[in-house]
Amino acid sequence: MKYRLMVLAAAIALVAAACGGGADATTTTAADAGGGTPAATEAPGGGEPIDIDFWVAFSDEKRLGFAQDRAAEFNAAHPEYNVKVTSFASYNDVFDAAVLAVDSGEPPALIHFFEAATRQALDAVDSSGNKIFKSVTEAIGGRTEILGEPVVLDNVVSAARDYYTIDGELFSMPWNTSSTVLLSNMDILNAAGVTKPPETWGEVTAACEKVMAMTDAPSGCISWPNHSWFAEQSLGQQGELLANNDNGRSGRATEVFLNSKGMIDYVSWWKDLADKGYYTYTGQQRDWGGVDSAYLAGELAMMVDSSSDTVIHTEEAKDLGFELLASFMPRNENVPYVGNLIGGATIWMLDGMDTTKEDGALAFMNFFSNPENAAAWHQLTGYVPITEDAVDLLNAEGWYEAEPNAKVASDQLAAAANTPASLGALIGNFVGIRDILTIAIEDILVNDLDVATRLGQANEEANKSLSEYESLFGN
Amino acid sequence: MLIAGLIVAAFLGPLFVWRKSDSPSVARYGIASAAAVVGAAVTPIGMGQCAFAEETSGVDHVLAWALMAGGAWLALIITQSVFDKLDGKKTGGGGVAGEIRTGGYRMGWWVPWLLLSPTLIILAVFLYTPAIQTFTLSSKLTRLGAPRSKDVCFGNFSELLITDPVRLVAYPLLAIGFIYAARLWVTRSTPDTWSRRGADITSVVAMLSAFVAFYAMFSAGGGGQVAYRPVYLNTVIISVGIVVFGMVGGLAIAYLAFRQIKGGGVYRTLLIWPYAISPAVAGLLFFMIFDPNAGIFTYTMESWFGIDVPNYRESAILAQMAIILASSWKIIGYNILFYLAGLQTVSIDQVEASLIDGASARQRFTKIVLPALSPITFFLLVTNLTYAFFEVYGTIDFMTKGAPAGKTSVAIYEIIRVGVNNGDLGRGAAQSVLLFLAVIGVTLWQFRTSGERVSYGGS
Repeated sequence: MKYRLMVLAAAIALVAAACGGGADATTTTAADAGGGTPAATEAPGGGEPIDIDFWVAFSDEKRLGFAQDRAAEFNAAHPEYNVKVTSFASYNDVFDAAVLAVDSGEPPALIHFFEAATRQALDAVDSSGNKIFKSVTEAIGGRTEILGEPVVLDNVVSAARDYYTIDGELFSMPWNTSSTVLLSNMDILNAAGVTKPPETWGEVTAACEKVMAMTDAPSGCISWPNHSWFAEQSLGQQGELLANNDNGRSGRATEVFLNSKGMIDYVSWWKDLADKGYYTYTGQQRDWGGVDSAYLAGELAMMVDSSSDTVIHTEEAKDLGFELLASFMPRNENVPYVGNLIGGATIWMLDGMDTTKEDGALAFMNFFSNPENAAAWHQLTGYVPITEDAVDLLNAEGWYEAEPNAKVASDQLAAAANTPASLGALIGNFVGIRDILTIAIEDILVNDLDVATRLGQANEEANKSLSEYESLFGN
Repeated sequence: MLIAGLIVAAFLGPLFVWRKSDSPSVARYGIASAAAVVGAAVTPIGMGQCAFAEETSGVDHVLAWALMAGGAWLALIITQSVFDKLDGKKTGGGGVAGEIRTGGYRMGWWVPWLLLSPTLIILAVFLYTPAIQTFTLSSKLTRLGAPRSKDVCFGNFSELLITDPVRLVAYPLLAIGFIYAARLWVTRSTPDTWSRRGADITSVVAMLSAFVAFYAMFSAGGGGQVAYRPVYLNTVIISVGIVVFGMVGGLAIAYLAFRQIKGGGVYRTLLIWPYAISPAVAGLLFFMIFDPNAGIFTYTMESWFGIDVPNYRESAILAQMAIILASSWKIIGYNILFYLAGLQTVSIDQVEASLIDGASARQRFTKIVLPALSPITFFLLVTNLTYAFFEVYGTIDFMTKGAPAGKTSVAIYEIIRVGVNNGDLGRGAAQSVLLFLAVIGVTLWQFRTSGERVSYGGS
């Protein structure tokens, strides 16, 4: 016993020394998802199929599984290609890995990257100063069909098209696109005497007053994740810019406005809800899961959520036995409504591939969002159908009559005016600036700080951060 | 400025040798002087004297001077060890190491290097090179995928510190002075008098004053500075909590599990399991226990006992306690393992002798078992502290993500948030360097203080 313990102790010490701190791998690789069918690995003429690496920032079974299934179908139809889907834990992980892979000479063909980092992706260069990504529009070059796959890029719905169009063209292929919606537990609202979901800030506060006055009131009335996206949506609704130069769309954004009137009003309303005990803060930034589980457990009457989960949550509510109604994100009743914006991600194509490989990548992207696939993606999750043809297909199927909740996000985006404010901002180091804002909001909610003062500090920090970014990437 | 520093170094070199050597010669004074100048000049010249450029602040100068002093000191230590070797002085202690050195082997000087080379090569490629790159990065403003980077000299460091150079120098000097004064009092006072007890208490307070000095040196934020003071405070609270909880708990459980009990082998094996779990999984497990909505603990307390458990992520104290609990639970198995092994080395003869002398269980534990375990305790102190500093990221990320309002964001969490998540590589590197220096500092301090009290048995 004595010696065994000693040996075990020594062995553990060795293992600990060898592992150091690097034990936390954040990426998992889906083993060769494309190779699921035998046809995929055998190219005609005996040549090896060309690998097309597609790096995806989803790791859940539904979304990652969707990508893997589409890749397998594409490989079966095009045996000369082998699309390989690799899963990463986050958008940032995908991007960092891709930039490093470019410099080490083995880049993927396609990566999945999110809207807020559009500026960052456009700016990114490799170690010899060449742009990392190639414009998808330019690569398609006006073709209507690639390797037999019809090009769907021109068919993308306007909300996504307008957001991602920079200098007149789409650089990346839109994929998962959503907006913010209010999901109401109508059983609780009806019990409190509220017959329809609130549409404005004032109506939310009034509804919450009724809900929380009930004897069997839930532990909170409303919640949404402390994610900068909701504040950005609110600025769009109120028609205020987040950054100068038309939200960074008529020129590079060089200044951000985190303490604008619209932002202060929004956060003040938010804090007021929290102070009254109506808004439940889960205690974590970007806590999508925490809000979801509280809402589904019946501890909240309402949540503001990404439409990306509307279909999923509607099904879950059915299983749990309550009526879930989706509606537009509540707006500020004191200013005219301008419009909500999109969120989500697009597929970026890396530069430097030969024509054969590039065509394979382009064909896959267009196949991936062909009407059937785009409609299936919407039905699986609740992301808006990304092309007009997919919308037509869903209408023809009668899907929206059966699932009215699924249409809310598309309707909300269609109701938006096409102004720089409601298009959303393109800002350098947007990820870092978002972080500064969420930290400030958490500080305000948890430590009961003055909204305008704390947002003023955040604004100072964010502008410093942006000017540093511009000094590295700007002209 | 640079020249002034080098002249000071040139004079300090001989002084150092004079203090350390028995028979210094004029040539050695000269060599030491030169070594000090070279050591002091390496960093400012390597950095292009940027700290003394026109637009620099007093804090930049302080940092540059500190770096020059460090370089000179390092150079002098190396020089002195060369002198000692020439004089044929034995370095290092006795014990096994001494036996090996004085043993019967005679071999070429290169044989140990040859045997060590595989390890050294791996260390050089995967550890030392990135470490050096981290130092270079820490003086830059740079991002992944950026077409250019900018040199910011000490900017990434000085923005973490207070802006007043005088206070920046005064605080550590005051703390060091306090510590030395307390030690002097201890050595001058006679044991078992009130004076000695007062001196002992003062020296503990003096040690704590070092923590306070660092607290005062870090910036509280505002005016373009980074609020690093809260991060420092969180790190101290959470690290000390993990080490104390993990080691006291580990020793207590090991002491109980060491007794002869039925099925003891199985029991002891099970106790060690938490160590095999990764920090992220530990975080996830405790999240599942304490989560306000889905947690097992919260659910049980509410539905069985009607106790409304508050959300641990909304209260700074609860959140920090939760992190300490989860992290020390993970390391406790490791501590138990080493203490179990250590307990087997406690001399049975001494225990029996003390039993005959009528020592109580408590006396046996404090006077025999604890001193016998001191080498293991010291080893665990270093490894636990390293763990608490470097490996709690996963646990924190799953349990609180730094919430509430950054109250559980410790140094390593902040490094990853700034350097990886926000892609600000230079600032992340600067904070890594800071953490690196902190670990070196704490370990050296432990060697000096605990080292005196550690008994390795034998002579």
